[in-house]
Amino acid sequence: MWSVKKMDIKIHVNGDWYELAVNPGDRLVDVLRDQLDLTGTKEGCGEGECGACTVNLDGKAVLSCLILAVQVDGCTILTIEGLQRGSELHPLQKAFTSESAIQCGYCTPGMIMAANALIYNEPEPDEDTIRKNLSNNLCRCTGYDRPVKAVLKAAKDMKGDTNV
Amino acid sequence: MSVYFQIEEYHRPRDLAQAVDILSGFGNRARVIAGGTDILPRRAGVKKIDTINHLVDISRLGLDYLKREGDNICMGAVTTINTIGASPLFLSGPYGALTDAAGAHSTSTIRNRATVGGNLCNASPCADLALPLLVLDAILVAAGPEGKRHIPIENFFKGVNYTALNNEEVLVEIRIPLCSEKTGTSFLKLRRHQTAIDMAVVNVATSLNCRENRCEAAGIALGSVAPVPFRAKKAESMLVGAKLSNEIIEKAAVAAAGEARPIDDVRSTSAYRKKMIAVLVRRSLESSMRRCGQ
Repeated sequence: MWSVKKMDIKIHVNGDWYELAVNPGDRLVDVLRDQLDLTGTKEGCGEGECGACTVNLDGKAVLSCLILAVQVDGCTILTIEGLQRGSELHPLQKAFTSESAIQCGYCTPGMIMAANALIYNEPEPDEDTIRKNLSNNLCRCTGYDRPVKAVLKAAKDMKGDTNV
Repeated sequence: MSVYFQIEEYHRPRDLAQAVDILSGFGNRARVIAGGTDILPRRAGVKKIDTINHLVDISRLGLDYLKREGDNICMGAVTTINTIGASPLFLSGPYGALTDAAGAHSTSTIRNRATVGGNLCNASPCADLALPLLVLDAILVAAGPEGKRHIPIENFFKGVNYTALNNEEVLVEIRIPLCSEKTGTSFLKLRRHQTAIDMAVVNVATSLNCRENRCEAAGIALGSVAPVPFRAKKAESMLVGAKLSNEIIEKAAVAAAGEARPIDDVRSTSAYRKKMIAVLVRRSLESSMRRCGQ
């Protein structure tokens, strides 16, 4: 017999604290999408290979399909929805649009969140570093050239002014 | 709500003793979790996870540290692989293999969560960090109901996903004895597509300690070519005492390939693995030699 014991957690997501009751087996991606309606974070493979579910956890890029929600109790999470400040798009979002770095768009939120953590931890990444970093995110449309250009442009535009 | 991963109860013990107590109480129904990157991809329905319905989280027990203590470098078991890869403690010659392996392990997003203890306890034949730790003669410290015990890493791996730890034991620390500055180590990994996420077709770590080109000690550890990562002892013994030359390194590399017992699988054939072991061991020995005395 299953008698699942729910857990109360408090997490800081995109600037607000949330108190939630979660099942012990719920992953962070489940809670973000199903409880907080933050469906910008996508689930691709569900086993850590594709990077579509990448979010920022305490300033680091992590895969929300490989983290239990109970494990991030007390932590700060940033998703694609929390990236822009006010009504203006974030420099990464602007650069992905202006460089036409999006096709089907499914990998884009994960890619942008991975890039955001990269620029936060290394404000002036070179092209090689960006390429290596974006290899964590599978994209089957763009061929990566345009996303690489977009991240280079955004890093320049941001000049270290990051939001995590 | 997704029922992707079914778990009855998640435990966050306040200290190590309580973690051991919980594990003792639930036997094989409980499992330790830290980074979660090995446990979560095992979906409900996959055989191994079926009996497990309790998770014991050890990620907040202060086991995340890297420090020099006496004659050892001590790593807490939940130190993330990216922390190890970035640590200045391992940048010099004797520990270079550890930095190499940490950088070659999966993707940086996984490495932000994946821990060294998890990489060892999952006991995959291709565990990247197992190989440098094998050539560095690491000692693993396990905590259980009777206190702590030390397990040399060579005796730790018992089979695929199977270690010397008992159900109620927790791996708490990895100790690396300080090496002489004359030691050089390196790690190499061959992947099918050479993308970050690919697991190894073959992976190798070596260590050499030389004085005026004469080899005083040698270590060769092989991964992905047997049920467990292991040391190629015959090949090592060919190097010890010898004057290092291209010929002797080539001979030892071929001998190491002879000690491998690979299988055919989705990533490679057994024959190709054998050939690549010889190539990787040779290159890694050459690299370790260059790092001697660095």
